[in-house]
Amino acid sequence: MTLKTLNLNAFKPVWLLGLIPPVLFLLWWDHEAAKGGANALAFVSLAQVGQALIDMFSSGELALSYGSSLGRALSGLLIGGGIGTLVGIAMGLSKPVEWAASPIYNSFRQVPILGWLPLIGLWFGSGDLSKLIIVALSAFYPTVLYTFEGLKQVEARLLDVGRVYRLNGWQTFWRIQWPAALPSIFTGLFQALAFTWISTIGVELLFSSGAGLGAMMQQAQLQARLDIVLVCILFVGLTGFAINFLIKRLSQHVLSWRSVRA
Amino acid sequence: MDYVPHSQIPGHKVKQTGAVSLKGIKKQFNFKDRELKVLSEFSLDVQPGEFVSIVGPSGCGKSTLLRLIAGLDDTYDGTITLDGQRVAGTSLERGLVFQDHRLFPWMTLEDNIALALTNRQISKDAKAKLVADHIALVGLKGFEKAFPHQLSGGMAQRAAIARSLVNEPKVLLLDEPFGALDALTRVHLQGELQRIWLAQGSTMIMITHDVEEALYLGDRVVVMQANPGRITHTVDVNLPHPRDRASPVLHRLKDEILAELTNVPEAPNSVVRLIKGDDQ
Repeated sequence: MTLKTLNLNAFKPVWLLGLIPPVLFLLWWDHEAAKGGANALAFVSLAQVGQALIDMFSSGELALSYGSSLGRALSGLLIGGGIGTLVGIAMGLSKPVEWAASPIYNSFRQVPILGWLPLIGLWFGSGDLSKLIIVALSAFYPTVLYTFEGLKQVEARLLDVGRVYRLNGWQTFWRIQWPAALPSIFTGLFQALAFTWISTIGVELLFSSGAGLGAMMQQAQLQARLDIVLVCILFVGLTGFAINFLIKRLSQHVLSWRSVRA
Repeated sequence: MDYVPHSQIPGHKVKQTGAVSLKGIKKQFNFKDRELKVLSEFSLDVQPGEFVSIVGPSGCGKSTLLRLIAGLDDTYDGTITLDGQRVAGTSLERGLVFQDHRLFPWMTLEDNIALALTNRQISKDAKAKLVADHIALVGLKGFEKAFPHQLSGGMAQRAAIARSLVNEPKVLLLDEPFGALDALTRVHLQGELQRIWLAQGSTMIMITHDVEEALYLGDRVVVMQANPGRITHTVDVNLPHPRDRASPVLHRLKDEILAELTNVPEAPNSVVRLIKGDDQ
């Protein structure tokens, strides 16, 4: 009630409020950078960061690294998420598969994703394949879990309706189980997206070979180029934000049948 | 008042099919070592086109009985036949309306009803016509594209009734179809169900807690008792349809049934509904 009487919507573009903290932060940052001396090592001026952005942009370096990271994240999501969804479906629909796959899945899941790096590095080197495996793995875990949980939670009362109308297994899956599990599957997709983007940057930083925003940051750090590091961080953050926004919109669209109250 | 068989009511189509016969039904649930007898030697013959109401206290196995006839549960002793054919598994010939509407929230009203026709071997156009006809039958024209969360409880239950009738089942099983609705909507939908039954002519078997509802709609009211679930009494309601709720005959019968169910010599007039609860 109180929120409604405040009526934040009266300031039409409410999102402008969200710009206040970053702007304040940047002003403080620039102020610190202008102090010079020891501070200049920790802070670079916004003008310098802007110049780095322009340089990286015009040299094509940024596009190359950014495209490489984004491509890695998306293909990891597609491969890991795709296989994860299929495994989750198999576990959710078949008891024997659940019994067979659950123990190994649940124990492997306890290993932090970057904990696989040494093993995968030894087997596949530090190239693109290793990175892709790590990123796909980070999408795989949440999609399996949430697809499986979503299918497990389909209510027997809805499945009874399918039986009354004599739906076969395939029809029951497409008309009842899949749509009923979809909200949970989207939750998994959200997590998978966040994890793939984080692990993409993480694995690039750690392997620091080839193209990618993470590798670029690693190189820049060695050369003490704080401006480049900051440009990379900016793009990592904005991309994560954009991906989240898109998925949210997609889920709102696909799940529009859900009551607003729910 | 003279009994007018429903077959003689003008406009009431009576089908020659839809005879349900239950013989010596025994059903028990096992909890660890204990066994709980839910139904014991339950026998009942329902004529084609007849409306039978079944009333009884919570836990007397009424809902279980309906699940057995629907074919959702095949583990029982005894035989259930529809037109002489033994019932095995679910069938489009036996429709079922649940207490909660159980529409799928991700489908429009139209799609929910069409779902019931998924495995009918008829043309797309014929399906569309059946769906439209049944939406009209339950008075929901104009709401074809609505999602369940946009409908009131009464509208959603009407849609559920349309879904169960769209296959033109020989027998419609109703498991406390109005139990979750408010009193006014309930009275309204009882009238609607009577109208639909008169127009459709399917056999109907309705479970209810509401003695008044059972008497208002049923040609026959079967009274059950619990532990184990069995028939204690059958009441023929020899009144023509559609009925007058104020009929003294209905009131006398209601008092009789309530007295039996509550085990007191004479039940107070004001007690209409029995204590509600979930059956097994």
